[in-house]
Amino acid sequence: MNTPPAFSFLVCLRLLLAVLPLPGQNLLKHDHQLSSPLTSNLRLKEGLWLLDNNIDPYTGGSFHHSPLLLSVFSTIVPPLPIIWAISDAVGAWALLRIWHARQGLSFQKGTRPNVENLITSVYLLNPYLLLPSLALSTSTFENTLTLLALMFASQGKVSSALLAIAFAVHLTSSSILLLLPILMILVSSPVSHLASPRPFHGNLKRIPFLFGEFTLYWLVLVGAACIITGGSWSWVRASWGATLTLPDLTPNPGLWWYFFTEMFDHFRPFFLMVFSVHLVIYILPICIKFQHDPLYAAFLLIGVLGTFKAYLTLADPGLFISMISIFPEVHGYLRHPIITTLLHLHAALLLPLQHVLWVSEGRGNANFYYAASLVMGMAGGAGLVDACWAGMRIAVGDAKEWVEEKVDGEKGKDEGKVVWWEVVQQ
Amino acid sequence: MRRASVWIFLAYLCTPSFALYRKEIYKEDLRIQSLRDGRVSTTFSFVTVLEGAGPRNPKALGQRDESQHYALFPLTLGQILREYAITELHLTLNAGKWNYDNWGHPHEAEVGTGAELWAWMGASEVTTVDERWSGLRNALSGLFCASLGSLDSRRTLSPTVAFPLSGSTPTFSPHELRHASLPSENVCTENLTPFLKLLPCKSHAGLAALLNPQKVFDADWHGMGVHVIWKEDTGIELKLSLQAVFNPVRTSAGKRRDWNLQSLFDRSIERSCPVASSSSITVILPEEKDHKITPENPAYVDGLAIYDLSSSSNFTIPSNIAMYWPSEHSFQYPLPPLTPITPLSVKRTIHGTTQTRGVLSVSVTNNSPQEISVGYLEMMPALITMWMHTLKVEINSQIRSDLLSELKYHPPSPQSNDRFSPSMLQAVLTIPPKTTLKISMEVNKAFLKYTEHPPDAMRGWDLPGAVFFPLSQLSHNISSSYDWERIYTPTLLVDLPTPDFSMPYNVIILSCTLMTLIFGSIFNLLTRKWVVMEIQE
Repeated sequence: MNTPPAFSFLVCLRLLLAVLPLPGQNLLKHDHQLSSPLTSNLRLKEGLWLLDNNIDPYTGGSFHHSPLLLSVFSTIVPPLPIIWAISDAVGAWALLRIWHARQGLSFQKGTRPNVENLITSVYLLNPYLLLPSLALSTSTFENTLTLLALMFASQGKVSSALLAIAFAVHLTSSSILLLLPILMILVSSPVSHLASPRPFHGNLKRIPFLFGEFTLYWLVLVGAACIITGGSWSWVRASWGATLTLPDLTPNPGLWWYFFTEMFDHFRPFFLMVFSVHLVIYILPICIKFQHDPLYAAFLLIGVLGTFKAYLTLADPGLFISMISIFPEVHGYLRHPIITTLLHLHAALLLPLQHVLWVSEGRGNANFYYAASLVMGMAGGAGLVDACWAGMRIAVGDAKEWVEEKVDGEKGKDEGKVVWWEVVQQ
Repeated sequence: MRRASVWIFLAYLCTPSFALYRKEIYKEDLRIQSLRDGRVSTTFSFVTVLEGAGPRNPKALGQRDESQHYALFPLTLGQILREYAITELHLTLNAGKWNYDNWGHPHEAEVGTGAELWAWMGASEVTTVDERWSGLRNALSGLFCASLGSLDSRRTLSPTVAFPLSGSTPTFSPHELRHASLPSENVCTENLTPFLKLLPCKSHAGLAALLNPQKVFDADWHGMGVHVIWKEDTGIELKLSLQAVFNPVRTSAGKRRDWNLQSLFDRSIERSCPVASSSSITVILPEEKDHKITPENPAYVDGLAIYDLSSSSNFTIPSNIAMYWPSEHSFQYPLPPLTPITPLSVKRTIHGTTQTRGVLSVSVTNNSPQEISVGYLEMMPALITMWMHTLKVEINSQIRSDLLSELKYHPPSPQSNDRFSPSMLQAVLTIPPKTTLKISMEVNKAFLKYTEHPPDAMRGWDLPGAVFFPLSQLSHNISSSYDWERIYTPTLLVDLPTPDFSMPYNVIILSCTLMTLIFGSIFNLLTRKWVVMEIQE
């Protein structure tokens, strides 16, 4: 296998970080930006302790991880930092292969080492991804599984892709957003068609069968989880139910926690429903609009998750940001990349600062941190809207191209005229 | 003939009530002890025994109850006990921290700060134990004017090992324990007045005449207790107790530790309670012989001076009992380092600077030359999560996990309306002689909804104290002569992170604006068609 030089170097570096004792790792583990109650390493360890002592970890209301993680870490391997490093490496490798599949290149050739180096570095050096991984947050595994699902789908490996997405949905139920675009990639192709939109090109009749296969895998995982927990269903309420009912209001960079801290009790169920439905509502419009390029639709839905997910951590927008690197064709059409970058910079600096001011120093109050989380929401939204814009704008092309096309097509009739493009409503 | 039958009928009607009329005994006692830090501990106990009576069988709760006739036993309490078929009941309302190191073990063991209520009830299909527990709380909070109604499922546990049945175990059904504590409950006059009403002589005669609320609630430590115990051979025993630790050094101008009943209570006993079968004041004499006690006609038994006040005795009621130290000009506080009186000293704190997490640390010192094994019980409200995997047991910074055994942990269990019961941690600690054992674990503090915070949210939350309890001699073969009941550690105050309480509308508006902004922008883009237009200049 031909790996780019940066890949080997950065993976070695990442493994070294896992092995070396880091001074601030305990602080990272408790950081609310890097791990949520659903992904926290502390809670994972507590769950393992409870399991060891024959206590159902799901009764206490503090453990929300999937039973599968529990069984993996209690029987196969202990939760060592090296596993997070390996997961990161696998994620970067999957991202590389998605890019290869999108470019229609076979992996053995490896023709463009510069781009490959860039993609690897963007994934492994992204602080939004690296820090949660150093904090041993299980969101690293969720991201890796998402990337693996996309990779297998891009390579046309049906069963592997469906199994990977079934795992991802099992770990975090909001990954269900990515199911439809992954099915679409499986029946069409991951190759970029952004510049030349066309009606959906693929065998739609296969989708129900693929969905059936996914359901089968998912049910097997649910069954396995039930066997692990000894036939009890309490884990469903504790793990998946937590994303719907938000029992733990620990602050995070997302929009849910303060909204539901301050919510009037009688409106809670209504707004919980609104926030959950709001996530699902993006699936069909994005998949229909980007039916010519389902991989890009998946990318946009990852952006939706990275902005509006319950129990958001920095790892969620981090995946979206790193995935921008595999769509080089749209970079030129982004309208406000600098503003998005500055918003992210603003949020990334303010979030830890305001968190410390509120929770540790006691000088600020919750509103300070809330304001920072709103900026984070703005940053996520700006990136998402811009990616959406660029993905459609590329189809129109440059004004110059149009001039040349016209010149070619109409035999110099309009020569000398300045031709501008403009967007008009349908 | 007809008249005769009417008489017989009336006599028949009256028979059961006469048969139910039981013998009742009332005893009262006051124990006074001078403590080494100059304070004076006083313990009133008023015991009413309902001879031959037994607790109500909960299986008969659906049926009509036998009528209740009491001469001395308080009817209001009797009705509550019958209504909810309570076998054993303990209610204490205390204020202040009991200083075990300087004051020794209290005469009444239940000295946990705030309100504590625990009851043993028989299980029954008619009404569940939890339903009766809820009824009992509300009835008692009405009777004693205390906020016992808030001892709901968020505070209720069943720590059967630390709080066993004190009396006999009835055979009619398996028994269950419900225990709850409210450390932030304040104790004041409104609780004492209903307490005095339960006494047969109220505060008009006998020892209860001394109970002057202004003085009792000025004491450094004060608390009252209601204990109902069923003993198979005697019957139902109701013990009303009141303890107060006065500080004569503080109140006397001359900084002397001399005390007399008049100075302590600002009241005197004018007459004895006529229905009391025994009524006595017991003064526990200090070991040093430099004190004087008046009047000088008590009965001396084993370092105790006993004054009999009952109306049947030959003694006249002493107008005032006083103890003084004639050779002492002003009281000299014993200088540190003081060796604690109790063999076991406990310190419990929560460290940590942030509002989200901390370290709960308990250090237990064995002051005696023998090894001591104790039970350790934590009952933590669900707003504090104890991370059990971080539990450490240390002696002099060395991990000694072998000294903690029989660890039992119950995580918070979900109750109705999304509430969680407290978590319970119970273990047996073995402390080597003359050493300090340190237990520590990390804890997380919950982020609560803004409606779940109390009105004074910035004050913080009171956590109940831990309980150290002796292990029953049968199960643990310990040859220790150390005889004691439970030790309560002081309560803890934790500050939880608070949201801004004025923000609900602002947050709804701002968050929804952001969501609609992004939602609108995306759907605006998605529903547009892109075409190229020529613009002629």
